Amino acid sequence: MQRVAIIGAGTMGRTHCNAYLNIPDAQIVAVCDLDRSKAEGLAVRHGAAVFTSYEEMMSAAEFDILDICLPTYLHCKYALDAMEHGLHVFCEKPIALTEEDALKMIEKAEECNVRFTVGHVLRFFPSYSNAAELCREGRVGVPRLIRTTRNQAFPGWSWQNWYADYEKSGGPFVDLVIHDIDWIIHNFGEVERVYASSFNGKAERQEHGIAILRLKNGTICHVEGSWAYPKGSVFRMTYEIAGTDGDIEYDSVKDAPVWIQSSEDGQYRSDFLNPMSGPVEPYMLELKSFINAVEEGREPLISGQEALSALRVSLAALESSRTGCAVTV
Amino acid sequence: MKEIRIGVISFEHMHALSYTTELGKIEGVQLAGIADSDEYRGTKMASRFGTKYYNDYHDLLTEGLDGVIICTNNSMHCQVSCDALDSGCHVLVEKPFAICKEDAEKMLNHAKANGKRIMNAFPMRFNPNVIEAKKAVDEGRIGTILSITGINHGKIPSGWFIDKKLSGGGGVMDHTVHLADLIRWFTGSEFSSVYCESGDLLHNRNIDDTGLVMAHMENGAFVTIDCSWAHHRNYPIWPQVDMEIIGTKGTIELKAFAQVNHVTDQKNSIIEDLCWNEDGDAGLIREFADVIRTGREPNASGLDGARALEVAEAAYRSSKSHRQEQVIHVEA
Ligand SMILES: NC(=O)c1ccc[n+]([C@@H]2O[C@H](COP(=O)([O-])OP(=O)(O)OC[C@H]3O[C@@H](n4cnc5c(N)ncnc54)[C@H](O)[C@@H]3O)[C@@H](O)[C@H]2O)c1
Repeated sequence: MQRVAIIGAGTMGRTHCNAYLNIPDAQIVAVCDLDRSKAEGLAVRHGAAVFTSYEEMMSAAEFDILDICLPTYLHCKYALDAMEHGLHVFCEKPIALTEEDALKMIEKAEECNVRFTVGHVLRFFPSYSNAAELCREGRVGVPRLIRTTRNQAFPGWSWQNWYADYEKSGGPFVDLVIHDIDWIIHNFGEVERVYASSFNGKAERQEHGIAILRLKNGTICHVEGSWAYPKGSVFRMTYEIAGTDGDIEYDSVKDAPVWIQSSEDGQYRSDFLNPMSGPVEPYMLELKSFINAVEEGREPLISGQEALSALRVSLAALESSRTGCAVTV
Repeated sequence: MKEIRIGVISFEHMHALSYTTELGKIEGVQLAGIADSDEYRGTKMASRFGTKYYNDYHDLLTEGLDGVIICTNNSMHCQVSCDALDSGCHVLVEKPFAICKEDAEKMLNHAKANGKRIMNAFPMRFNPNVIEAKKAVDEGRIGTILSITGINHGKIPSGWFIDKKLSGGGGVMDHTVHLADLIRWFTGSEFSSVYCESGDLLHNRNIDDTGLVMAHMENGAFVTIDCSWAHHRNYPIWPQVDMEIIGTKGTIELKAFAQVNHVTDQKNSIIEDLCWNEDGDAGLIREFADVIRTGREPNASGLDGARALEVAEAAYRSSKSHRQEQVIHVEA
């Protein structure tokens, strides 16, 4: 049984807490958030202790794993400290905002002999893992052209609006597109060259980034992430994989099995639901995979190095979008 | 209304079939003849459309035509267009306008010198769904355009299309121009720089069949064009022209060929999506007839064709250099 503490009880903290309910080998013993009511809201179902400061939690609670669901710019600081205290660390993606920070985290985990992974959850999304599996089975021949999108409205819900500050979130390339980049690297090959464009803060409360990747094996990719959709629009992700013998396409809106339309106080609402519960719920799967690795004393499925590889490509995209030059990774 | 006489030069590009069919539907237009160096194909088409066959297009050009539609392979667009313009015809030439900037300039100069109009076949400008999206943009419904993601996928063509000498290039030449034209039309801005990754990646035919283009417009917008012949034989539909348009006040997702019936035909083991709306060819041919009648500047002009070609040329340069390339503009 692994004892887990969660720091950051926002959107992802809540998602993780729900997922742990279905992981018998883990127990949430502490939840920490600057906002006590948020932490309490999550802690209650787990019978976990509530804290409003990390330091306080570290001195008062005993646990094996720190699960970091903090805004991205805080990942490194808390990960390093937890590792020094001998804790295993699950960190939400992206690993960090800079290569230096990411390297520090990777090295610290080695030095302290603790397990460390990063939440590249897309690998556990059943549609994405199934598509990758179909490609491995050769159903489309050799994958040669890959298109991915991850589009939504400008994130306006976060604590202190931290997403809107690209110094803290990294913007769409580092925050959003990194999901697809990790999925591409893991399943289709390493990236050789990146060329990218984005608004880079020129548009008010709208950000939009597209990168063209050339993989070392020659495959080309069009990866798109957007925070430029109108307020209230639904989150949507798509992919298309064209190979030498066929093609695979997925669209979370077009292919959604449940579409709910409602009207409340004259406000129209439309939701496209893609239920993924029980044994295929991706957040449960990623956390469980880490818990198992810790229990069995082996390397987690997603290493810090892999998270760093994805970050490098995201940062290359960011650089390219600023300079107009293609960047060799 | 005076009857106008239009000839068709070559059925090498299969669009000639649809264009000639559309000609027949316009009142006051006479199909004056079909020229084709392939005698078998030419006589077959001439008898199908009940018109006279010419082996040598020069002979057709002596018949005092008002206009010609040119559907030769791409490499011949320049010579045939110039000859037709010199003979006093207005010209509608299949896309891509030409296979290089020099040819394009020559064609534009011949049109100017002869006081005739040259039009490039960009049927998507006349596709009802594209027009609807353009109208929404013009009405300001999504504010100012900041970015456009274009996809023009299709199946790999055969024959001269995949012979670089005759086609000028593969998917990057064949498909970039459609979206480059729509993007210019929608944004009202010119392309300034172009980056491209492309290659013979999917079909092993020794020609670029896959390509991703990213470009910056003079007004600051950035756009991408996927010009890949990405689809395989049994993909349920041939044409795909999509645009995702991001504006300051909203977005538009355009799927120009979404108006289909999904057909499952078990006897022939076919599953396909069949479009039921006009594709754009009808409007294109009507426009050409009207340009001939009025002598006005066409929508989808030769210059538009040349501007789209510039983008494809820059994309080829970038594919080699792996750098962002400046677009080299033809003289207007
Ligand atoms: N894997 C995914 O699908 C996915 C989705 C969204 C976000 N994320 C990532 O998850 C992380 C968190 O994002 P979020 O959307 O949940 O953010 P959020 O703004 O919803 O939540 C952050 C929480 O952290 C708390 N917090 C801030 N500083 C703190 C501190 N020093 N001590 C304790 N609590 C503190 C805030 O009060 C807030 O409740 C980010 O790195 C983000 O990139 C991942």
